[in-house]
Amino acid sequence: AYCIAGQHWRWQLFFRPSSTRSTMAEVPPTRMNEQVFKAKKKAAQSGHKLLKKKADALKVKFRDYAKSIAETKSNMSGDAASAFFSLTQAEYAAGNFKQKVAEGSLTARVRVGAGIDNVAGVKLPVFTKYETGAAADNQSLGLAGGGKKISAVRDKFTVLLDMLLKLASLQTSFVTLDEAMKVTNRRVNALENVTIPRIEGVLDYIARELDELEREDFTRLKLVQGKKEEEAKEQQKKQTATAAKENQEDITAMYDATDDADVVF
Amino acid sequence: MSTVKPKTGTGSLETFNILHGFPEALVRGMRNSFLLDSDYHHLTQCETLEDVKLNLTETDYSEALADMDSISPPQMQSVAIQKLVTEFQYLRTQTIEPLSTFLDFITYEYMIENVMLLLKGTLSGRDINELIAQCHPLGMFKESTMRSIPTFENTPRGYQDLYQTVLVDTPVGPYFAMFLKESSQLMGGEVRNVLEEVEIEIIKSSLIKYWIEDFYQFSQTLGGDTAEIMGEILSVRADTNAINITLNSFGTPLNEPAMRTSDRKRLYPAVGHLYPAGTSMLTDVSDEDELGRVLELFPQYASIWNIHAAGGGDKSIDDAFYERDVQMLELAFESQMHCAVFYAYVKLKEQEIRNMVWITECILQQQKDEINKFVPVFSHHAPWRGKGK
Repeated sequence: AYCIAGQHWRWQLFFRPSSTRSTMAEVPPTRMNEQVFKAKKKAAQSGHKLLKKKADALKVKFRDYAKSIAETKSNMSGDAASAFFSLTQAEYAAGNFKQKVAEGSLTARVRVGAGIDNVAGVKLPVFTKYETGAAADNQSLGLAGGGKKISAVRDKFTVLLDMLLKLASLQTSFVTLDEAMKVTNRRVNALENVTIPRIEGVLDYIARELDELEREDFTRLKLVQGKKEEEAKEQQKKQTATAAKENQEDITAMYDATDDADVVF
Repeated sequence: MSTVKPKTGTGSLETFNILHGFPEALVRGMRNSFLLDSDYHHLTQCETLEDVKLNLTETDYSEALADMDSISPPQMQSVAIQKLVTEFQYLRTQTIEPLSTFLDFITYEYMIENVMLLLKGTLSGRDINELIAQCHPLGMFKESTMRSIPTFENTPRGYQDLYQTVLVDTPVGPYFAMFLKESSQLMGGEVRNVLEEVEIEIIKSSLIKYWIEDFYQFSQTLGGDTAEIMGEILSVRADTNAINITLNSFGTPLNEPAMRTSDRKRLYPAVGHLYPAGTSMLTDVSDEDELGRVLELFPQYASIWNIHAAGGGDKSIDDAFYERDVQMLELAFESQMHCAVFYAYVKLKEQEIRNMVWITECILQQQKDEINKFVPVFSHHAPWRGKGK
């Protein structure tokens, strides 16, 4: 019986839709496989739900970041303009001091540290500022004129530096988040449009095959049953025919010892 | 230190013109090249830098800016300074003693700045050509001298050599000698230590102090109107320096009690109205209130101080000082037969260049409300000229 089903199965190879084509060569349609693929489908669906949740969380964070970047940028344009203008004012009052600053010792007073922030499972880079506590050089710049303006420049540019750091941190997080979101969305879509339909296709196929096998078995059984019934009927006919024939020739034939079957206890 | 002795005085009303009439006439002609009120007005109305250039073609700067397609504030500044240097050098070649020495004195201020730049620059290991490009053109000395500065080694012995062979020949050598002598007495160190440890501004302030004193002595020996007018101008300059140094030293290491007597006091020039009583009082000043109280005693500075104390918003003390300087320098043009007009010319031209750069920067950075914060030169609307003439 199985080899008939096998032929039927091979014939089906050429007429399956493409989403299930690649699995056709590998998956024998057994009940065990049906269980296996049912489990796979469940796993895929729950994975899909989780990923969708992650994608939504990332999307919310993404929008937040985009908003704060826009805010910081618009604030920064005003700060940058006033910082550079205070530089102009200082140069008016104190002459060209850029060269003197460049000649001074260039040890950094402020440094940037890179840290990692975890958002919905995605690792985002953040920048923090910390002072090295190095001595402030060029304190006596503008001693003969414009000293106040120069310290105003210092303050304004410190504010600008803070904003720049914040913006840099936000923007790198934004880019990383964007990447992570793309990846997650791709996985969600893959699950939704490829993996789950494939599994469902396999399950369908298995169910159909099993049905087919059952039906074949059923038909076979029916055939065999039919045949058996016919045989039994024929036998009955034969028996009644021979019994009638023997009745006409010998009355005592009924009592012959060899006619009756032996009674066995 | 012995001041240069002039060979003759500049003479008085009768004799000045014999030797110095032509240069003075030149300078008075050059006085016409200053930007007028109307020019300033047009410039402040400009929207772009092209407009500025267009307006400047109607002034004396037309030739200077002719070969620049588009001006930017730094370019304009260097071009304007170059124009001033050309005019000054022309004047210088037309003069004879003692006016020529007087003009040289004017350049020493810029030489000091250039020397400091070159020395500090070589300490940091910069390229000599870069440094020369940054030097102020009015204060250039011989190219060979400048190029030889970085060829000396970066060792104490090298600096000693550098000083003895190079700096001693420059006109600012004596100032350096005095500074180093004083510092090594105090710090007990060598030439190189002094240059490295003391901040460039403090060295420069000390050198300027010696220069002011020297210039003052020289102009006094010239006698006549020169002594009077230059004396006044330089006294005010010395006082301005003293007040600024004190004011700007608050919040820096220079303000610490230990440093005040040793370092800050040394920066106050020994000329000026504030000397000696005022400067000794200034030495002990530790914050702005005390400074205000000291300045109350000197009426001419009290008014300037009040502008600063009244609030930082509109005018700062630097603006007030600039205004007062311009007023005094303009007065120098009011009389004749003296050398102070030359000094006044250079300084007023500097102020004009500063104004032009300020206006151009304001236009460039779109800060139109601040654009009028400059001090015009020879303006009819100046507050000290009374109601418009």
